[in-house]
Amino acid sequence: MNIYSVAYKNLLRKKTRSALTAGGIALSAWVLVTLLGFNRGYEQSLNRDIDNMGFQVLLTAKGCPYEAATLMLKGGTGLRYIKEGMVKTVTAYPEVERVTPMLMQGVFDPNKGENGAVAAYLGVDALTFPPMKRYLEFKEGGWFKDNNAREAVLGYEAAELEQREIGDKLLIPGINAEVRVAGVLKRSGTQDDGTIFLPMGTVQTLFSKKGQLTALGIKVKKDTDMDAFENRLYDLPDVQVVSLAQVKTTIMGLLSSAKVIVLALALIAVIIAMAGVINTILMSVLERYGEIGIIKSMGAMPRDVFKMIWTETALLCSVGGLTGILLSLATARLSEAAIRRFLPYTPHGALVVLDGRIAGFAFLMILAAGLLSGLYPAWRASRVRPLEAMRAESD
Amino acid sequence: MKKLLLIVCLFLAPSIALAAVGCDLNDPDRDIARLFPASSGYKTVYLSIKTSGGEAMLQRVEQRLGDSFHGLYETIEVPYTLYEVHQGKEIIGYVHGVNQKGEYGGIQVFLSLGTDGVIKSFYIQKLTSKAAKELRSKQFGAQFEGLSLKDFQAYPPASGQLPTSGPLATLKNPAPAAGQDFQHVLRAVKKNLILMDEFVFSKKKR
Repeated sequence: MNIYSVAYKNLLRKKTRSALTAGGIALSAWVLVTLLGFNRGYEQSLNRDIDNMGFQVLLTAKGCPYEAATLMLKGGTGLRYIKEGMVKTVTAYPEVERVTPMLMQGVFDPNKGENGAVAAYLGVDALTFPPMKRYLEFKEGGWFKDNNAREAVLGYEAAELEQREIGDKLLIPGINAEVRVAGVLKRSGTQDDGTIFLPMGTVQTLFSKKGQLTALGIKVKKDTDMDAFENRLYDLPDVQVVSLAQVKTTIMGLLSSAKVIVLALALIAVIIAMAGVINTILMSVLERYGEIGIIKSMGAMPRDVFKMIWTETALLCSVGGLTGILLSLATARLSEAAIRRFLPYTPHGALVVLDGRIAGFAFLMILAAGLLSGLYPAWRASRVRPLEAMRAESD
Repeated sequence: MKKLLLIVCLFLAPSIALAAVGCDLNDPDRDIARLFPASSGYKTVYLSIKTSGGEAMLQRVEQRLGDSFHGLYETIEVPYTLYEVHQGKEIIGYVHGVNQKGEYGGIQVFLSLGTDGVIKSFYIQKLTSKAAKELRSKQFGAQFEGLSLKDFQAYPPASGQLPTSGPLATLKNPAPAAGQDFQHVLRAVKKNLILMDEFVFSKKKR
């Protein structure tokens, strides 16, 4: 019989106590793994969402962010715009690889739901927009033929909601304009799924916004000094520069406070679990005081007893840790759904991403904390004096 | 910081605005209470032709409809949401909606039905059409109250010709010049009633 089977059998003597302690460790491992997975998943999805925008810098008219709310609430009336000539100016910058102009307009549709809703249309340039969104694939059809075509390309969800296929007519409510569906995109898992794209010239004509844009998407060349480039853009009159890296930093910054709190809770859970481990193992040592004395009187060295008790701790933590990791793998999608429910903004894609590295790290952390907790009970056991222990047992 | 978030919202807004695909009530708590003032609660059941009867059921539905399912979005896999309305433990009615391809956009037609399958009220939740105002009017919707699947059996959606006799003969198109959406709405009502019969009423009889 080796030391592991002795330790295992010792743990089985008090099944309920061992199971409860392992359950506590499992819960703390579950919290830890889920949090680490969320940390990775959220950042990955946010990066993907930002990369999928196809550009790194967004140029809007000054004051535009506040009017974004206007667009959503009032259907795009009273927005500020940047002049179309800005495209040439920005394209001339040596750092710029590509520029794509955008014009977003919204109309209030009283026939959407009980109280109506805003329908938004994104005017894009037929030449420069598609190359920036290379990841977009078509379910059927393709991009518009030219910038003044009365055509539309619908994201997957927008097409499903409007039940549109290529060749179908699509009515823009409010202005009563008709366009033909030129293409329906495959599901991309991005904001594009719900977007209705129209050619830039068509949006400018239909909404009487000739020569006006709401934003410019700028893709910069590799190795560009982004800070210096953004500062140069600020020299342009009446524009606001939004670096998507900055957006990402802002969102991650907001999220980090929440993460610190949750991490603190996870650490508290680990500490409570470890206090449970100390309690369980120490009780087990005290209950077996006489037995340990007999083992020592039969020739066991203090290091053998220490090893035996420490192995019990390691086994308990391993079982609890592994259970917690399996639990976190099994409930990852559930945790993701809960996170989406509580956070005001979540990027598309998986929010909790777990892999071997995260699982391994969490397991080693739990095991290390467990072994640390087992030091004192194991030391107490190794210090037991055989005669004293047997006398105490007979008393 | 607020500015940055608003910009993010501006570009993510379309996905938020249009994310709800399918034919669920936008606000079931409010809508069920409005459609069934005496209700004390409701249960949501998710169904599809594929899971409820498969290919055989699809053929039966198409035959009863007098038109085949067509297009990208009218398929055997389409999920349907059925709201079972309760008063205490008793079921007092149902609310069920279908998506219908219209001439200019999607149409979502909801019916509230009594336990006998008779239409209690008609509600177009979403409609993109030149005749939207007229088709969503109370007067138009009121024409469907009291009708049942039996009344729609004589209506052929493929041709869109209203029968010359029976309750449907008196149905009025509120905007004849505004295109084909009146016929699309009637097709949606007939499809809705057939699906309700397949999902609920025929099953009960069996």
